[in-house]
Amino acid sequence: MNTPGKQGGTSSARASLRLSASSLRAHKRRFAGTFLAVLLGVAFLAGTLVMGDTLRASFDSLFGNATAGTAAVVRGADTITTPGESQGVRKPVGTALVGTVEAVPGVAAAVPDIKGAGQLVGRDGEPIGGQGPPTLAGNWIDDPDLNPYRLAEGRAPARSGEVVVNRGAAEKGGLRLGDTTVLRTPDPVRVTVVGLATFGGEDGMAQVTFTGMTRADAEKYLTARPGQAASIVVRADPGVGERELVDRLTPALPTGVEAITGQESARENTDMIASQFLTVFTTFLLVFSGVALLVATFSIHNTFAIVVAQRTRENALLRALGASRRQITAVTLIEAAVVAVTASAVGLAGGVGIAAGLQALFPAIGFPFPEGDLVITGPSLALPLAVGVLVCLGSALLPAVRAGRTAPLAALRETAVDTSGASRSRAVTGAGLLALAVAVTLTGVLVAPSVWLAGSGAALALAAFVVLGPVASTTAVSVFGSPLGRLRGVTGALARRNALRSPKRTAATASALMIGVAVVALFTVFGASLKATMDQTVSRSFAGDVAVSTPSFGAGGSGLSPRLAPAVAALPEVDTAVGLGRGVAEVDGRGRALTVTDPAALERSFDLGAVEGNLRALGADGIAITREEADRQGLAPGDTARLTFTDGRTTPFTVRAVYGQSELVGDYVITRAAWAPHRTQDADTLVAVTFADGVGADTGKAAVEQVAERFGNPDVQTRDEYARSSAGGIDMMLTLVYALLALAVLIALLGIANTLTLAVHERTRELGLLRAVGQTRSQLRAMVRWESVLVAAFGTAGGLLLGTFLGWVLVRASDGASDSAFAFALPPAQLAVVALVGLAAGALAGLRPARRAARLDVLRAIATE
Amino acid sequence: MTTATTTRTAARVTDAVKVYGAGDTAVRALDGVTVAFPAGRFTAIMGPSGSGKSTLMHCAAGLDTLTSGAAYIGDTELGALDDRRLTLLRRDRVGFVFQAFNLVPTLTVAENIRLPLDLAGTRGDPEWIDALVDVVGLRDRLHHRPSELSGGQQQRVAVARAFAGRPDVVFADEPTGNLDSRSGGEVLGLLARAAGETDRTVVMVTHDPMAAAHADEVVFLADGRLVDRMESPTADRVLDRMKAFEVPS
Repeated sequence: MNTPGKQGGTSSARASLRLSASSLRAHKRRFAGTFLAVLLGVAFLAGTLVMGDTLRASFDSLFGNATAGTAAVVRGADTITTPGESQGVRKPVGTALVGTVEAVPGVAAAVPDIKGAGQLVGRDGEPIGGQGPPTLAGNWIDDPDLNPYRLAEGRAPARSGEVVVNRGAAEKGGLRLGDTTVLRTPDPVRVTVVGLATFGGEDGMAQVTFTGMTRADAEKYLTARPGQAASIVVRADPGVGERELVDRLTPALPTGVEAITGQESARENTDMIASQFLTVFTTFLLVFSGVALLVATFSIHNTFAIVVAQRTRENALLRALGASRRQITAVTLIEAAVVAVTASAVGLAGGVGIAAGLQALFPAIGFPFPEGDLVITGPSLALPLAVGVLVCLGSALLPAVRAGRTAPLAALRETAVDTSGASRSRAVTGAGLLALAVAVTLTGVLVAPSVWLAGSGAALALAAFVVLGPVASTTAVSVFGSPLGRLRGVTGALARRNALRSPKRTAATASALMIGVAVVALFTVFGASLKATMDQTVSRSFAGDVAVSTPSFGAGGSGLSPRLAPAVAALPEVDTAVGLGRGVAEVDGRGRALTVTDPAALERSFDLGAVEGNLRALGADGIAITREEADRQGLAPGDTARLTFTDGRTTPFTVRAVYGQSELVGDYVITRAAWAPHRTQDADTLVAVTFADGVGADTGKAAVEQVAERFGNPDVQTRDEYARSSAGGIDMMLTLVYALLALAVLIALLGIANTLTLAVHERTRELGLLRAVGQTRSQLRAMVRWESVLVAAFGTAGGLLLGTFLGWVLVRASDGASDSAFAFALPPAQLAVVALVGLAAGALAGLRPARRAARLDVLRAIATE
Repeated sequence: MTTATTTRTAARVTDAVKVYGAGDTAVRALDGVTVAFPAGRFTAIMGPSGSGKSTLMHCAAGLDTLTSGAAYIGDTELGALDDRRLTLLRRDRVGFVFQAFNLVPTLTVAENIRLPLDLAGTRGDPEWIDALVDVVGLRDRLHHRPSELSGGQQQRVAVARAFAGRPDVVFADEPTGNLDSRSGGEVLGLLARAAGETDRTVVMVTHDPMAAAHADEVVFLADGRLVDRMESPTADRVLDRMKAFEVPS
């Protein structure tokens, strides 16, 4: 027998190549599903990367241009960052420092840059923005080199109450030159729009809204006390470099104040946007392309497994004729590589197309995407290409090795129905893996809370599901299919038997859908749990009748005027109105959010659980802490906690009360009097109102609304409304998640369709026989469709089970990792919808293979070879 | 058995022409065949390879359509039927036994036998099917899968399936082609018995004179034309007749 020797290496490789090429040409259709799956995954990945690069570059140049004239920025050196916040609170600088800075040689001009939160109210009475990006207000800087905004229309503010608004915000709120509206700082300020501004040539800095006021107004409304600014921006004399200027400035500055170059400042701004928006956005998209590619892995593996199975005779013949194992394996791998490379290459082009499309789409949905060419870097092309090729080759590896193992004698055997999937050892391995997964997860969630353990458990659970798939598919399809035989007669029975034919194949096909459905179910369960948590939080700790708040999200919004609570409290209909303000300080070395309020009134509107000590006696040097935090730091009433504020001062506070529940109220409570010396721009996040005895809900609410209108029209909501609106953002997030997961489900659907098409091809003679003995075309189509639905039902059921379990893990892990208690909730209606969508996907996937099967020529099918 | 029933035809074709391909490569598989298959009789169609015998069967059974001429099952003209009606006709009025791959591998023996009835959604005649199971001798195999049966057993299941719905006519295409002579003899005996005892019509295509000898009558086809008929054939007479085809005339 001829074994390919060393000198035969090239010619044997050429033989493999030739075989691959002819096989690919002959079976183009078989690889269509694989091709599409790789293409979609790669396109999504490449699109995400290109868009991320493009956005980052655009913001870079945007800030670079807008702040080109700023040579240096003088600002407070320290920040305090509280958990869950990307941007810390920085100590303000005194405007008195401007004189010192101007005296430094090389400084041409120095202007205080006063910045705070300021949300404009639009023509329709609704606030502009606030759903994520910051809503900023500041002093309008007349020196055009130091002001990143440019006047596009109108003039600069000259008198108190006059403002310049960035054009994007003005358009959004329907504001025109000369219009008068309210700026929430959060105290409502009546302002007249006298000018419209642009930022770096665009209508705004992304979705950030900006209102420029006179310096006097800015000092009055945006800072705690006059003479403070966020920073001092500095213009250099001609010929003085930025670095040189900073070097000259630094010795002149007092401690706690630093100078950075304009370039560094621009870079920080880009990074800030990147961390707040771009990173979240791209990570989000990358996760979904990961899911899509994982789903694709199963579809690809399945296609190659089937192709190899169908080619057993051909491969056996080649083996009998002297082809080596390596050559047979190589043939399949080369095929996979060709599919992978072409699909990935097309996917790259698609990805660039997606990025270009989004660039065009963003402005249309009101997001001013900075202009500029797409930034296509090497890594953002190389990575998706590599991932696409690796995923495809990796998925095809096992089938290829199996092809190589084909015994030459297999050419003579009739290929039997493969039921090897449901083997005993597999069941044992899978069950063991599942037990391990559950044990690890439970340990990580319940016994020794650890995200790492819980995560490993989740990964193990996924692996267990995949291993158990073929075993479970037999049972699941039998069960799901049993009513089918009764309802659909022999057509249903045949569909069921067909789905049971090759448990491995059924499981692999369903696995793709299972993962897609699992992720959907995971998010659905997690979202419902978040909602339930909020609902529970509000109903448990909010004892008031109505809540006043501003709908805002992220860094947006300006909060409520601190004068609102006293105004509402003065109403005859109201018993108590307590505002919750927000402060920051470092406690025990970590940034912490403080709740600044009237502790006596707090007790009446919020359920604080068991209170040890006296909340009414906090005074100007007392603090109340939750039980959890007190235990963590070993504090008891009477002990001293040291708080460091943004102004750099460290003050000892006496713990006067320890309370049980922290939801809504937070972990640390101090009085307004204690906060006053350290305060920044003041705002309340929530005003809780309790009506006087005998006041009806409608009467009371109407009275509060009337007052609220004078303070920039915040939302006045009953308890239920408040709970519901707190959860409103979750639905938005879920919608986005579902839209993205549609891609994964689409790939899974392609996988099912592909497997069925191949199965139909494999069963040509059987289908011909059925047609000959009297199966009508519609019966045949129904049979294939039902098989598809059964496979989908199995995948969907597995996905729901896995997703619900992972959702539970995530909720419990979050519960362990955060201070607030998480509630677990199963939303039956939503999960039923997910199940229906999964089944519908199955029916849809079966359409094309069913049509193809029905078009079968009976005579050719039954003709013996 | 009355004279009326013997002269009634279960299936027939008139002036049947079937052309495959077009132009220079056109092949006339059937070239003006007119033949009737009398009800209650077992007819064998014989002829050398390429004589058109399989094509004749396919067209007569409604599996294929004629280029010109007409094919009838009973009084129903097949050319007038669309695919759906043709399928229903095959299901309700015709039985089939093919050379190989007669059974659906996922169904049990019992389910395979009932397949045409189940496709029609009718119960059929349980007593008749019960009797058929005994005739083909498969009572102890009813719940087996086809892969667990020998080739001869599989063909016997196919015979039972073909007769299950009391069809007007059963078409058998080389039913013993893949069997050893003993199994083949059993299957042919079954076909003959079923035709005789139950008054069913059987039309069988074969190239095996031994097989043809089981039939009541043999029709000979050559080059797409009907060339001869033989009543009460024996293997030797059929073989002699067949030899005549091999000598170029």
